[in-house]
Amino acid sequence: MSTLFRFQSLFGLVVVFVAAVVFSPSKNGDLLFLNSQNLFNVVRSISEIGILAVGMTLVILIGGIDLSVGSVLGLASVGSAILLVQNDLGVLGAVVVVLAIGLGFGLLQGFAVARFGIQAFIVTLAGMQIARGLARIWSGGQGISITYGDGPGQAPVAFSLLGERTFDGTVPIPALIFAVVAVLAVVLLRVSAFARHVYAVGGNEKAARLSGVPVARVKIAVFGICGLLAALAGIVHAGQLNFGGPNDGAMYELDAIAAVVIGGTSLMGGRGSVVGTVAGALLVGVLRNILALNNIDSNIQLLIIGLVIVLAAGVAQLRPASAGTSERKIAT
Amino acid sequence: MDETRAVPVEMVGISKSYGGVQAVRDVDLTVRAGEVHALLGENGAGKSTLMKVLSGEVGGYRGEVRIDGVAVHLSSPAAAQHAGIAMIHQELDLVPALSIAENVFLGREPHTWFGAVDVRRMVRETAALLARAGVGIDPRRPVEQLRTGEQQLVTIAKALALDARILIMDEPTSALSEHEVGQLFGVIAELRRAGTGIVYISHRMQEIGQVADRATVLRNGSVVAEFVARSMTAAQASEAMVGQRLEQLYRPDAAGDVGEELLEVHDLTVTPRRPRPGRRDPAGISLRVRRGEIVGLAGLLGSGRTELLETLFGVGSPGRRGGTVRLAGEPVAPRGPRRALRLGIAYVPEDRRLAGLALDHSVLANTVLSVVDRIARFGVVSRARERAVTTDSVERLGVKIASVDSPVGSLSGGNQQKVLLGRALLTEPRLLLLDEPTRGVDIGAKAEIYRLLRDTAGRGAGVLLASSEPSELIGVCDRVVVLSAGRSVDELETASTSEAELLAASMGGGS
Repeated sequence: MSTLFRFQSLFGLVVVFVAAVVFSPSKNGDLLFLNSQNLFNVVRSISEIGILAVGMTLVILIGGIDLSVGSVLGLASVGSAILLVQNDLGVLGAVVVVLAIGLGFGLLQGFAVARFGIQAFIVTLAGMQIARGLARIWSGGQGISITYGDGPGQAPVAFSLLGERTFDGTVPIPALIFAVVAVLAVVLLRVSAFARHVYAVGGNEKAARLSGVPVARVKIAVFGICGLLAALAGIVHAGQLNFGGPNDGAMYELDAIAAVVIGGTSLMGGRGSVVGTVAGALLVGVLRNILALNNIDSNIQLLIIGLVIVLAAGVAQLRPASAGTSERKIAT
Repeated sequence: MDETRAVPVEMVGISKSYGGVQAVRDVDLTVRAGEVHALLGENGAGKSTLMKVLSGEVGGYRGEVRIDGVAVHLSSPAAAQHAGIAMIHQELDLVPALSIAENVFLGREPHTWFGAVDVRRMVRETAALLARAGVGIDPRRPVEQLRTGEQQLVTIAKALALDARILIMDEPTSALSEHEVGQLFGVIAELRRAGTGIVYISHRMQEIGQVADRATVLRNGSVVAEFVARSMTAAQASEAMVGQRLEQLYRPDAAGDVGEELLEVHDLTVTPRRPRPGRRDPAGISLRVRRGEIVGLAGLLGSGRTELLETLFGVGSPGRRGGTVRLAGEPVAPRGPRRALRLGIAYVPEDRRLAGLALDHSVLANTVLSVVDRIARFGVVSRARERAVTTDSVERLGVKIASVDSPVGSLSGGNQQKVLLGRALLTEPRLLLLDEPTRGVDIGAKAEIYRLLRDTAGRGAGVLLASSEPSELIGVCDRVVVLSAGRSVDELETASTSEAELLAASMGGGS
């Protein structure tokens, strides 16, 4: 029973997947949904949100929230384009600079949360505006197209790989990056002392502090990681579109939060997993895909996704509470 | 006493248990109109539980409550209020940001004819109530601006507004100054003349002689004695409260060898940067703990026991410190738990749910929390190692669990406390600070916790134990330091002190 709840999103993913197979339209006797090209497209379509959601999982695990990731993604995509096209930085240089910007942005937000005790919601609400503002100022408000070549004003061809596929043209590079990020995060949460501290801060911050957990450092690090991953998602975004858009990534933070929630991570903190989040993101991707394959109106898709979020949260509520939380305290 | 007076409340054969712990057992209690009935007993004796039955805050009790001779079922505080019963809690249940008047009328605001809240009437009536309670404060002031004593008087005014026939007061004077106590007694005298029955819970013996008519003593959930308050002596009351005890519960071994000086606190004071109401920061505390020794901290609620332990652990009020604290001869002033733990100081806080455990998390996660970065190599924790450390701790402490992966919230209070103690012991502390380590813990687990403390001291650590149970302090500690109003006022050798004497010493310093 408890295993079912623990892996509710994996279970949900299987259900949605089976439903997708059942309702898949077919062409020449082949199910369109199960076509490998289609399946990889599903993964690619969620890779940016998925990368954001991995960082968001950590933030939510400590009982926080990060509303700035969509804007940071926009800032990073603009930054990548400008650094490659206008500043003629190499791919490595541009990537490092953009990642550093995301990391720094996240660390600053973490600092404000941990040291000044401002609520994460408010800090990152401000961060969302600031990152968007920076993106527009940097780009002059205009999107920057990325063209490839060796000449000045052209980006190195290597960057265009982000829009390509590897392994004989099957696996999209963004999907691969998402997979690597997810695996690293799963491993980090499994084995590290840092992860124990993350869960403890979310589970009972006061107890964590009294037990010697460096609460402020944990919070700052978590927001830093989330900012770093948002920047990475922004690089992937620019590479896929060959374009750096200052207004890109708007509302992505909410899609990321949705994936985390569907993945069974508690917004109260202390409970959840990256595995769940990955399953949650895939579930949304598969759902969108099968609805699109059946030519369901995109507005109807929104309704259905919304219902799935509520359903997932409702199922998580059914999870049997540990006996202790309902047990009354003896006072005399 | 006038035996013919009306008896608005009769409690007959009341029993109440929480989980497996019997908090109140077959208690009979009556309250007459116009009398003050004092309820005495140690912490855990069942006073508050009994009163929570009467005020409708706990359901699921056995026995019968009769109001004016009619059996009623008090299923909620609202039902009790409807029956004319109101309770003034020890914890101040006021909303800080609201004004006094808004607090007094919370949930039953008067309305004008067109539906708006009648603020003028609220303020006018509150002013009259405050005047009855003897305080001249503007009813429009927010509660958070008031001193603790004033807040206490506001809660009393709030109860007066209910026009209750039965008023329960749970340690109403614990936060009051002497002058304010006088005012409160004036209110009580007035209520009594008006025929209100009052149940008065207090630890302060001389107050009871002053204000009460009858006194009932509870011990381990049962009524053990009744007195006419005026003729009751402090010694009689203490003896009834303490009673005969299981001597073998304490001192599993004779005191171990006491070694050299470990902790030396000399005239410690903390002047908080931002004083918070209800906190009693150290205002002149001196004490010593030697290796192998268990030293107790006694004192009434609000005497500053918890604040002292917090200061020693580096989580006290921020502010200016005076005096010296030395650990093994070195002056120490840890700035936070991490540094304190590194110095070899461990702390088991009072409220294990709020400050101790993540209840949803496993026994394992809770046990290894303080040492998880120490048992990690390059930041990587070996699961096997984690498991071994936890299993070892669980076995050594005798925690009864199905698996180390069970959520700690599913354990009994005693086992939760052992998990918390195990976490502290894993840090191999030189100095172990404990705040009420056996609150809400059954008797078997208590005995095991005492044995563990003795073992810890036996291995050369010093233990400082704050407790409000005199029997525990006498039974477990080598010496007891008595605190009052943030000062150390007395020190007793437990071998030559009775529980009644300790109780008297704690209350003697009551402000």
